[in-house]
Amino acid sequence: MTDTAREEILARISEALGRRGGGEYVSSSPRTAVPGTGGTAHAESGGVASANTAATAADAGYHHEGTHTGESLIELLIDRLVDYKANIHRADGDPSATIAELIGGHSSVVVPRGLDSSWLAGYSGGVRVDAPGEELSVDELDAQGAVVTASAVAIAQTGTIVLDGSDECGRRAITLVPDHHVCIVRTDDIVDIVPEGISRLDAHAPLTFISGPSATSDIELSRVEGVHGPRTLDVIILSS
Amino acid sequence: MTFLGMPLLPSKRRSDLPGGQGNIIEAEAFPEASHEHLSNQQLRNNIGHATSTIRSKRAEVVSELDDWEALRDAGEATKNEVMANLPEYLAQFEEAFTAAGGIIHWARDADEANAIVTELIEDNAPMLETGRREVIKVKSMATQEIGLNEHLEAEGIDAFETDLAELIVQLGEDKPSHILVPAIHRNRDEIREIFMDKMPDAGELTNEPAVLAEAARRHLRHKFLTTKVAISGANFGIAETGTLGVVESEGNGRMCLTLPETLITVMGIEKLLPKFADLEVFLQLLPRSSTGERMNPYTSFWTGKSEGDGPQNVHLVLLDNGRTRALADEHGRTALNCIRCSACMNVCPVYERTGGHAYGSTYPGPIGAILSPLLTGVQEQGNGSLPYASSLCGACYDVCPVKINIPEILVHLRGEDVKANHSPVSSQLDTALTGASWMMGDGKRMAAAERGLPLAHKVTSGEQINALPGIASAWTSSRDIPALPEKSFRQLWAEEEANDRDEEGQR
Ligand code: SF4
Repeated sequence: MTDTAREEILARISEALGRRGGGEYVSSSPRTAVPGTGGTAHAESGGVASANTAATAADAGYHHEGTHTGESLIELLIDRLVDYKANIHRADGDPSATIAELIGGHSSVVVPRGLDSSWLAGYSGGVRVDAPGEELSVDELDAQGAVVTASAVAIAQTGTIVLDGSDECGRRAITLVPDHHVCIVRTDDIVDIVPEGISRLDAHAPLTFISGPSATSDIELSRVEGVHGPRTLDVIILSS
Repeated sequence: MTFLGMPLLPSKRRSDLPGGQGNIIEAEAFPEASHEHLSNQQLRNNIGHATSTIRSKRAEVVSELDDWEALRDAGEATKNEVMANLPEYLAQFEEAFTAAGGIIHWARDADEANAIVTELIEDNAPMLETGRREVIKVKSMATQEIGLNEHLEAEGIDAFETDLAELIVQLGEDKPSHILVPAIHRNRDEIREIFMDKMPDAGELTNEPAVLAEAARRHLRHKFLTTKVAISGANFGIAETGTLGVVESEGNGRMCLTLPETLITVMGIEKLLPKFADLEVFLQLLPRSSTGERMNPYTSFWTGKSEGDGPQNVHLVLLDNGRTRALADEHGRTALNCIRCSACMNVCPVYERTGGHAYGSTYPGPIGAILSPLLTGVQEQGNGSLPYASSLCGACYDVCPVKINIPEILVHLRGEDVKANHSPVSSQLDTALTGASWMMGDGKRMAAAERGLPLAHKVTSGEQINALPGIASAWTSSRDIPALPEKSFRQLWAEEEANDRDEEGQR
């Protein structure tokens, strides 16, 4: 059933595009010109390769790099994170004192396998390490007061922190089920605008973009922080 | 300014590709359906408040980007490129998604998609003591379009909406009225009553939004942690890598996409982007146009399955349901470029007064007025009145992040409708339109109403109108209404048709 559906849908698309016979594309409204290139983007022979080498968004005239650097870049990120009701802290070299202060009230926290263990040196509660083959169950995660992770990239302009499932960021579930997320952002990982952030990421990794804690505006449009994800987001900006 | 009264030349090639089914068909013609909603003061107040608030937030965050127009151009070009090469991008996506351990299913229409999803649930969700199965759902336009929840219900499967607004709508046995804030027509007291009535464990609640949100959290928490199968839509599919993405706020999306063993995603075939890098454009266009935020709180991307992280049984249903029919319409196909941001409904004066229910479709507002009839065809189904649900003011085109020329497509579809449904004998719709006094009878709002044209043209002596009295004054203070044409659209159309016939006769 499904195979027939596949063939039929692809045939319908070809008909809809006015292609006849061998899949030749007959464009009747050549609106595929890409701004800034003067080129057209329709495939010569309908091959995937030609479709993808055709100019797309990457050549257009929007910004690919931001203008903020150094301290002004960090300040922009902080400003945007605060706007999204995240709590911001700064640490120089060693974040362990800040972390201890933030999670001190929880009797147990979870961390991903690759997190620098010295960062938890000041914490006296229980530490559960989530690692391949030793994943915590959902119920175990639900019993943790907080999760501490690093991050892959932070985008200043939008106040966005990206986790990429690496050993330092952990599985997606560990930053979702506990109610309190403490996330360490290294200053080297801060970029200015969205295109710079995307270019640093691996599409095949499970990616989570976080811009402030969970929020809803569904009731009379009044914003409520914290519906289903972690209700508290603490961000520690770590300078090296 | 383009003279919007002039029809585009109708397409010579009349597609007979099958139209879509499901919740995209008007039960009642728009002019009639809107009557009832117009007199609902709460609806008008709530929608007015919501649209004006989101509108100003959007304007503010858009003005922060000095390359906004370039981003829109890039968005438009990318989507046009996808549509022009859709078979290649679909094949490429399929290969990449499958290589990453995902499984793809193709569905020609709503029935087929519903059947595929049902079978997958039966294979993967356990039968409970009640004799029924349960799944959790992320808010998704595609599954609303195909009427999945209703279908599953009949098949013995309970689908729990987990987005707060969708939950309110579902528990209230109601319909969404806006694609972004579906429960915006409800106030906090009503929501409190729905929750206390329908959530067995809710207890006594106040009407504070924070209290109500907390009740929803408690209500759904256990479901998130224990349900085996989740259903989602997708905002984007990346052809190059086979990646899917969902954009959300509450974290219910992350819960559904991450915790269950099986994930079933339903996505329209038009949702693809060529490359992962294209997200650099769309992740700027979508949140700013939609909720007026620089970025929405959560965005998730997954590519097939990730070993040890998230669902290990990952399915995708690729849905046609009239999309190929829309694609065949050369003047309307750009409606498929829509990324469902809802900006067009927040600026539409007609939507603001009628709300979303009047459109009778999953897709309300300006985009719904073109997308629904394109998916079903104006001829086959009763969607012929939707293209008239517009003042053609052009505000929707101005805000659309992918630059869909909605007014132009509306005019084109009106032409299609006239051709298909209105000659030579007057139809039921004509009668309905004659009775559409709510809009056309009020000269302040709709001076260009067809019937009044010849007279209005004389009164205004063919000059531009730059000030209207009364409630319309705010509107004309920021824009001019073009001089009124001498003839109505219908008259012009009939004449064009007659000329065509004459010319053909002479050949
Ligand atoms: S038509 Fe444009 S403005 Fe309207 S929802 Fe779609 S993308 Fe947004």
